[in-house]
Amino acid sequence: MKRLTTLLCAAQVCLATLASAAPLSITLPPETAVFKPSELPGYALAQQKCSTCHSADYINFQPPGMTLAQWTAEASKMQHVYGAPISDQDVSIIGAYLAVTYGSAKASDAEVQTASNPPPSAPPVANVDAKTLLQNNGCLACHAIDHKVVGPAYHDVAAKYGSDPQALTRITASIQQGSSGKWGEMPMPPFAQLSPEDLKTLATFILQQ
Amino acid sequence: MKFDFVENSNPSRRRVLRDALTLAVAASPLASLAKAATETTETNPDEVTFAAGPRPLVQYPQKRPLTLVTTRPPHLETPFPVFNEGPITPNDAFFVRYHLANFPLSIDPDSYRLTIKGSVDTPLSLSLTELKALAEPVEVVAVNQCSGNSRGYFSPRVFGAQLGNGSMGNARWVGVSLKTLLEKAGVKAGAAQVTFRGLDKPVLPSTPEFIKALDISHAMDGEPMIAWSMNGTDLPFLNGYPIRLVVPGYFGTYWVKHLSEIEVVDTTFDGFFMAKGYRVPDNDCFCVAPGTAAAKTLPISRLPVRSFITSVQHGDVLPLGKNVELKGIAFDGGAGINKVEVSSDGGQRWREARLGQDLGRFSFREWTLAITFSSKGATQLMVRASNSAGETQPLQADWNPGGYRRHVVETYHLTVA
Repeated sequence: MKRLTTLLCAAQVCLATLASAAPLSITLPPETAVFKPSELPGYALAQQKCSTCHSADYINFQPPGMTLAQWTAEASKMQHVYGAPISDQDVSIIGAYLAVTYGSAKASDAEVQTASNPPPSAPPVANVDAKTLLQNNGCLACHAIDHKVVGPAYHDVAAKYGSDPQALTRITASIQQGSSGKWGEMPMPPFAQLSPEDLKTLATFILQQ
Repeated sequence: MKFDFVENSNPSRRRVLRDALTLAVAASPLASLAKAATETTETNPDEVTFAAGPRPLVQYPQKRPLTLVTTRPPHLETPFPVFNEGPITPNDAFFVRYHLANFPLSIDPDSYRLTIKGSVDTPLSLSLTELKALAEPVEVVAVNQCSGNSRGYFSPRVFGAQLGNGSMGNARWVGVSLKTLLEKAGVKAGAAQVTFRGLDKPVLPSTPEFIKALDISHAMDGEPMIAWSMNGTDLPFLNGYPIRLVVPGYFGTYWVKHLSEIEVVDTTFDGFFMAKGYRVPDNDCFCVAPGTAAAKTLPISRLPVRSFITSVQHGDVLPLGKNVELKGIAFDGGAGINKVEVSSDGGQRWREARLGQDLGRFSFREWTLAITFSSKGATQLMVRASNSAGETQPLQADWNPGGYRRHVVETYHLTVA
């Protein structure tokens, strides 16, 4: 019996006991699909935004040869139909990345360049505060200060890591590289485009909650 | 509790080796480097083309290696050779499809409740024990087919899960009739529809919830049921444990998994997955000219007639002048298959196959036909089924923007040598 239990657990299914009414628990295999790398700014954006709700293979296995218009319409559908927290500008940038990387568009196409490099809406600010960073990077789509949304409350993160001397490094790494398995079933996508200063600002803010 | 995946399966050595390779490859960070190796072992002329190339086989809980469609939320297809093993699709080979990634990975049958609310005399909150004791269980053998099964073969291609032909399965379901349950709660006069939701939820609150609806007349006609048993055992977790809605003859989108809430409503439900998603053109063929939009749509409903040859695959070489026993399956939305025909001359002449055991009008129906090829070279086999309502399959594929309900006559390109 013990051997069977071990076997069941090893095969991604666990029963607390073998009694007939025990909870049935499963473990899903790790997520290995990744977005195809690109120099285009939509690459980092797609990693963050799209990965919130679905794995990269949703995109990897779409039909080849789709156009810029088709991919941009698909990104727009995610925004308008499925409530993805992306702006109209994000839709254009992500659409361009997807059309070049997975579809028929070329990085040198004028439309791709225009979509990928929108005029800056405001001059870059040297010292951006934590709340602005949270807003601009869509962090609050999944997190709140004092309650769990998709990811943990910042309050709970601070409580968990508060006494850890490596806390700042650990939180910084989780934001930059993404994280999974620490707080529940939803992986957090990587935010690799954030500068070291911005990462430090965010990690410090979170630990103060 | 027992799990088929532990006890079952005596797969061929070749399959074990092949699966071991693809599993190792799928799990490896060297996946892209090793891709060439998979392509050579997984050569399948029948495979649809994807931006990322052939799809790996992956191992999920309570499942044998299945074809990966997406990882999160999970969508896995049944490898097609499984359908040649018999008319019932084993639980560990049955396809998996979720719409939303936020679902629990642990379910306690002791605390599980199914609530029935809305326009009823007596709202109910039933434990599994109470549900099972409600009435004499009912049983049906029925096909669950994804609305988008075979979407990868659409031309022009459309976005969405790019499916081969493996997002379907046939199982023996045991449960309680939805009619019995609704009668227990007492449906009030003026009820229009019944809605169903399960434990799978959107990741973000801005994403529409997965809720499906049936007209009250359909909900009360005795066919839909709430099943707790699949092929004689508990439902596998990823197929909706501990209970799911079974809607015989209807596409899988209505077969809500981890069913947790039933609501009787007085109006036509207008949630996203009824009012905007899973809709087909509102005309006789549910189709439009390829690449065009539909002026008017309606919710997808019954399965059209379909048939497959399961004993041969594209590219197979068959012997000249010898008796070859062809085998396959056919099914429809519940009228019942009454004829399966095969053509080896491009659809000019058709030979009638022998139908296998009748497991009920919602089930796969097996068929066999002995055929002898009299000339060498490239040939093609076509299979076409008809049902007792007089419906059959088109020789040319029709098209709709969602890539739903593919049902064209299948053609297999073979060589006789």
